[in-house]
Amino acid sequence: MTEHMIEPDAALASGHPAHKAGETLIELRDLDKSYGAFKALQGMQFELRAGEIHVLFGENGAGKSTLIQIICGVQGFDSGSYRLFDEPVSVMTPALAHDKGVSIVFQEFSLIPEMTVEENLFLGHELVQGLRLAKTEMRRKVHAVLDRLGFALDPRARVRNLRRAHQQMVEIAKALLWDCRVLILDEPTASLTDQEAAQLFDIIEQLRADGLGIVYVSHRMPEISRLADRVTVLRDGKYIDTVQMADTSEKELVQLMTGRTFDEFFPEITRSAGDTLMQFEGVTLQRGMAHDLSFSVRRGEVLGFAGLAGCGKSEVLRAAFGLEPLSSGQITCGSTRLERHSPRKALNNRICYFPSDRATEGLAMSQNLISNSTVAALDDEKFSRRGMLLKRPAERSFAKEIIEKLKIRTPGLNARADQLSGGNKQKLMIARGLSREFDIFLFDEPTVGVDIQAKLEIYDVIKTLTEAGKAVVIASSELAEVMHMSHRVIVMREGAIVGELDGDEVTEQALLSHFFAHEEPAAQAAGEVN
Amino acid sequence: MADETQSTPLDMRAIAPHLLLPLAIIGVVVFFAALQPAMISGGNVVNIMKQSSLFFFVAAAQLVVIITRGFDLSVGANVSLVSVVSSMVMTSLLPGLGTGIGVFAGVCTGLAIGAALGAINGALVAYARINPFIVTLATMSIFTGIATTVSGGFPIFNLPEGFSFALNQMKILALPIPLVIAGAVAWALHFMLTRTVHGRVLYVLGDSNEVAHVGGRRVREHLFFAYVTSGILAAIAGLLMTAQTGSGEPNLGTSLVLSSIAAAVIGGASLRGGTGTISAPIYGALLITCLSIGMNLQQINGSLQPVVIGAILIFGAALDAYRTRGR
Amino acid sequence: MTAQTIRNTARRNPILASIGILPIVLIVTCGLLALYEPRFLRSSNLINVLRNASFLSIISAGQMLVIIVGGFDISVGAIVALTSVSSALSIVWLADLGIGSTAVIVALGCLLGLIPGILVGLANGFFVSVMKISPFMVTIGTMTMAAGIAGYVTGGTPIYDLPELFTREIGRGSLFRLPYIVYAAALVLCLLWYMQTQTRLGRYFYAVGGNEKAARLSGLNTRKYIWAAYVLSALLAGIVGLFLTARVGSGEATLGSNLMLESISVAVIGGVALKGGVGRIPMVALSALFLSVLSNGMSLIRIDSKYHIIIIGIVIVIAVAAESYRESRRAGHG
Repeated sequence: MTEHMIEPDAALASGHPAHKAGETLIELRDLDKSYGAFKALQGMQFELRAGEIHVLFGENGAGKSTLIQIICGVQGFDSGSYRLFDEPVSVMTPALAHDKGVSIVFQEFSLIPEMTVEENLFLGHELVQGLRLAKTEMRRKVHAVLDRLGFALDPRARVRNLRRAHQQMVEIAKALLWDCRVLILDEPTASLTDQEAAQLFDIIEQLRADGLGIVYVSHRMPEISRLADRVTVLRDGKYIDTVQMADTSEKELVQLMTGRTFDEFFPEITRSAGDTLMQFEGVTLQRGMAHDLSFSVRRGEVLGFAGLAGCGKSEVLRAAFGLEPLSSGQITCGSTRLERHSPRKALNNRICYFPSDRATEGLAMSQNLISNSTVAALDDEKFSRRGMLLKRPAERSFAKEIIEKLKIRTPGLNARADQLSGGNKQKLMIARGLSREFDIFLFDEPTVGVDIQAKLEIYDVIKTLTEAGKAVVIASSELAEVMHMSHRVIVMREGAIVGELDGDEVTEQALLSHFFAHEEPAAQAAGEVN
Repeated sequence: MADETQSTPLDMRAIAPHLLLPLAIIGVVVFFAALQPAMISGGNVVNIMKQSSLFFFVAAAQLVVIITRGFDLSVGANVSLVSVVSSMVMTSLLPGLGTGIGVFAGVCTGLAIGAALGAINGALVAYARINPFIVTLATMSIFTGIATTVSGGFPIFNLPEGFSFALNQMKILALPIPLVIAGAVAWALHFMLTRTVHGRVLYVLGDSNEVAHVGGRRVREHLFFAYVTSGILAAIAGLLMTAQTGSGEPNLGTSLVLSSIAAAVIGGASLRGGTGTISAPIYGALLITCLSIGMNLQQINGSLQPVVIGAILIFGAALDAYRTRGR
Repeated sequence: MTAQTIRNTARRNPILASIGILPIVLIVTCGLLALYEPRFLRSSNLINVLRNASFLSIISAGQMLVIIVGGFDISVGAIVALTSVSSALSIVWLADLGIGSTAVIVALGCLLGLIPGILVGLANGFFVSVMKISPFMVTIGTMTMAAGIAGYVTGGTPIYDLPELFTREIGRGSLFRLPYIVYAAALVLCLLWYMQTQTRLGRYFYAVGGNEKAARLSGLNTRKYIWAAYVLSALLAGIVGLFLTARVGSGEATLGSNLMLESISVAVIGGVALKGGVGRIPMVALSALFLSVLSNGMSLIRIDSKYHIIIIGIVIVIAVAAESYRESRRAGHG
């Protein structure tokens, strides 16, 4: 019984009706989905056949996540048709999708941190004998699937204690524990090392050969080139096109995704590198997310941080802003050494930080525009008397000014932050950078979840700031963004700086070669330059 | 200006929530007046004004911490302890120093105790970072225990006449003194919440601690002072209630915990933090006071009154859940 | 110094780390008490402690389930009172109907008596899981309503005239010198322990409290389990209400007024995390025993009962502070 649950062919023979390669598994026609006024998907078309890897390609916020959530029943849809295994679907739930043979590897972990690996793998589908959990049998099955995937995981370990990459492995094992006909992978390699990723690709190709239909969400070109049979491109919640990978070049794909070429997309930022404003010397973070960091931030240029998710690049920015305690090393700002660093101190040293997580750190969602735009500047003479009494007229006129300047679309000054769309929220947060005098601007994932228009406007802000002689630091997981926006790029891997590229050296090839561990010698060489 | 002009074409959806509570209060008064005309007799109106003023303070104490996404279960215990200790101070000082100084010392002690109790809660919540629910649950039992221990479990009688007169019977421009004090405190609180940096930060950190922290605010200090403010407001309630009953009672505030939260939430403060204005405790206190005085006039069994208040509490919370749905 | 040593050993020794320092504290407390006040070790006193611990552990187990799914149940004390009144009334009513067998009257009366409590549990579960109202508000509301109804029905006077079978046998009867409630508690705890460790339901409670969204993505009907936790908690509170009624010999609307605070204290001291997803039956049982020993000891060495709540309050603060300290250390070194 357990044996063929793991082997897809055998399982299909016993569990699900037989299927032919090329048979249509999923068919979506003219699907619409909106959240209130926000249209997440419009006129979506999608088709998945048995034995193919179908890549969903698009930027953050293009609607990829919404689409796969609809497929596996986490979200409903408003109109259009959804056929699964040639049967029309009206209501789908996660449990039903699982029973029908649709497995999904989520990008946001669907794991319970306080539970063990084993308990998580079987969550919702535990094997039982009568009322009792069949623990021995489950253990056997867990070992079988982990061995087959080549993952070195302890089934009894608590997920809370695992590294991010290991948690990702648990996610993957969770999806492949059961026989399935459709496997959905949402950026599965986001936190894997190169070797682990290669192992995963082998497994995915094996599963394709076994006749599964695989939906693969990614925006990483090398993966797509290696795996994809067909690619469906989304942009701003709209269906753009479905193309055969074999006769499409990467350039064409990117053009489809962005709706324009790179050259017109990213602004040309003039570099006029001035004096050093901030210096990291041998900084190691207390939480161990990054170590031995040494670099400098200069006026009039954009410094980029690149690397895989979890490589420590955003922690570097957080440390610069006093959100991560240091265990050794020092950060100097101008001539002052930042000791007992805190956001308050950072702001007073004219450092401004835009967190990647707008919802928890960036904006107070039920407060109005005014209070969100001035919260970092309440000590300033401009907005308060001796840091005690608010100057409300000044706040109002500032809010009005930034709405105009940053083209924030809002129902009014007293609208709450959560009434704005993703891009306008991001612009509202950026407005804070204009609320008082700053020299250094730290952007952590500046364009996550914003539409193209807002993205361009944010790039424009970065350009203006840099050309006005400010220092700008960007950490981004979007390779194209770091690559085209930065004058200088620092690449990080597993908490360490593995390379620093300057000016013309910043190319996709050079960056990617630093991303993964196998390029050790080259990376070290580059590291030494710095 | 822009948004004000936008809302001029009487957007009922924007105005309706603000009218709901005043209408409900008027509805309750009219309902009971129809059943029992004594409801709107002069004496009863003064009574409603006094009672709801007293109640306003505990509801306001609750509001200040609810804005920060906290709770204060110890307000009732605070009221009791303030009542007992300030009474003891007054009765012991009375023969030696004369009424004026005795009353003054009693009031100051009461306020100081309130601030100190609030500071204990605030320190545990803001600096030791313990869940406010647990903190105030524990301090509730500690403060109650101290109040019963100090008083030996018995009321403290023989308070100076002047105390009751000054804090309860006196009238200023025909308005009972508790109402005057409540009005002044309400105005001060409103000013603090809307026009000071401290008030602004309370709302922001109630929404998200991290946002306030990233915005460079001293989150812990503001949180701490929110609990101190709450403690002082509860102490004022304790003093006024003691003046009303004319004795220091070790269980004066026992029943206030629940109804104070009920009043703040029904009045429109959200337990999710970050919202709630001074109108919340005002409307909430008026509504609950009118209801319970009305029920008393109708001679509804005292045991059934909490049933009504419990139902209103759940209704208020449901309304809150509905209002903030999808956030 | 010793605390430091214990902490260090706890970090090195995984077994000690998993059970924590509660057993040690319990043993030390018992030892000190036995040395200071030999009456503590008298069998009548120990049985007394065990009886209190039994009441406390049943109701705290329910509280634990609710906290595991990320909630709170403030209404447990009021459910005890409500069950006391309703079961006494049912028994008196059934006796008036002229049913011959006392055993039938008592059995039926107890079953009927549990119904109002379970209704409160259903209401709690409905408002929390379906209406998404803060559990605190919901249960504080149902608490007042339940207590109010219990007070209204009795009019403030206890309900007497309960059959001997109920008051003497169930209330004061014993087997091998141990009162029945101890066996009942043992049975309830074993069942719950089995459920927690050996069945799907137990796992789902943890999953829902640990990460509700992830549980939903894994196909669990999270509402159902949240609802179930509140109903179970109400049922367990009802059972405690029955035994307490039998023990005091009358239906009283003020019964169990301390139990809400005590059950939350027991859960918190027993390491049940308020953020949900964590909590184990054996620890809750130990913690109930600890609190019973503590209050028994305070009475024995003649600490005024007024101080008890002060001391228990302080113990709670220390326990929670220790938990949040551990949590922050773990996060710091995560």
